[in-house]
Amino acid sequence: MPFTRINSKMVEAPVTPGQRMFSQRGAMLAYRGRVTFTPSITGGQGGVMSMIGRRVANEATPLMVVEGEGSVMFGHGGHHIHTVDLAGETLYVEADRLLAFDGSLRQGTMFMGSQGGVMGVLRGQVTGQGLFTTTLQGKGSVAVMAHGGVFELPVTPARPVHVDPQAYVAHRGELRNKLVTAIGWREMVGRGSGEAFQLELSGQGTVYVQASEERL
Amino acid sequence: MATFRLHGTRVLAVELSGDAVKAKNGAMVAYDGEMTFKKMTGGGEGLRGLVTRRITGEAMAVMEVKGRGTCYFADRATEINLVRLTGEKLYVEASNLLATEPALRTGTTFTGLRGASQGNGLFTTTVEGTGQAAIMSDGPAIVLRVTAQTPLIVDPGAYVAHTGNLRQQLQTAVGWRTLIGEGSGESFQIRFEGEGLVYVQPSERTTVGGQL
Repeated sequence: MPFTRINSKMVEAPVTPGQRMFSQRGAMLAYRGRVTFTPSITGGQGGVMSMIGRRVANEATPLMVVEGEGSVMFGHGGHHIHTVDLAGETLYVEADRLLAFDGSLRQGTMFMGSQGGVMGVLRGQVTGQGLFTTTLQGKGSVAVMAHGGVFELPVTPARPVHVDPQAYVAHRGELRNKLVTAIGWREMVGRGSGEAFQLELSGQGTVYVQASEERL
Repeated sequence: MATFRLHGTRVLAVELSGDAVKAKNGAMVAYDGEMTFKKMTGGGEGLRGLVTRRITGEAMAVMEVKGRGTCYFADRATEINLVRLTGEKLYVEASNLLATEPALRTGTTFTGLRGASQGNGLFTTTVEGTGQAAIMSDGPAIVLRVTAQTPLIVDPGAYVAHTGNLRQQLQTAVGWRTLIGEGSGESFQIRFEGEGLVYVQPSERTTVGGQL
């Protein structure tokens, strides 16, 4: 079920019987046909255990289940929306950036601290993203919110990309991410360039970057 | 040679091959290749530049980005406009200047009362030389031509930048209505006369004049 762009801040998705969709609670703007919106108590898929997992990981954004027949328009807070079509790979994204996604995608939570040990833990602190991130895997579409539009940067083994942690939105593919610091004596005396921390993404995949350094 | 390229309307991509560009502090969102970021102390214009900026308050925090690869800049999702300068002078508010090519010189000039009414202080930044500069506007900026026959009047809060040989003058329309708090919100305007271009954004900064 692909999302159709209405404009840069609104998407429309068809809903057919037997095909569920998840969306952030309150993100529906309008709908056609017979569509029901049920708050998802478990906050997504996978039963009670994954609900507890998400609660513990603080990745439990209130979600609702969208079912029925018709089409639904989504948008939230005037943020720009970027749609990502997945064909089997995994998308890593913060839960609060998720606007809507197909029920056919498997939702999970990943511990980011496992990538890079102490620096991995520090990464979460610096970026304000915490230690966990949401993963979506399978075949389907995802609508992701960002402040000021999103651009995609391809990452290849020969061409790692560095991203400002505040401008990082999501990534997909086989990417390792590592927090690199460029702290020198200038930062210590308060004359930093404002680019002391960067996320280094290496491997094979795509990284989504927003044109702003503001969080949602 | 650094090349400036727009990636959409809100992201500036700069290709670097060992040279350096000046950019607003903290405006990098992503890069590939090798880059180093250094805050410029004194703006590269020597001690005099440092002292001037300190006194005038037109303290644009600038960093020097040097390296090889592509560096992407963006700031609070504002729209970016590229301006090519061939020897003329660009007047722009420090907060609206995103990046400049190394060949361009930046300085500070006194603007008088106009600056104060814009909420930007009494001084403005000038960019001079040959090369490209990237300026930011809140919403897509329009470029308006001013000729000797057609002067232009702009809201101080919507003014972004101007080039060319222009005289500017603050004009007020403060009447008894303004004094009793029934002003139209357009009590202050800047009048441009001469030959040149003025960049105007579809949004207004909060200014002292805007409240009246």
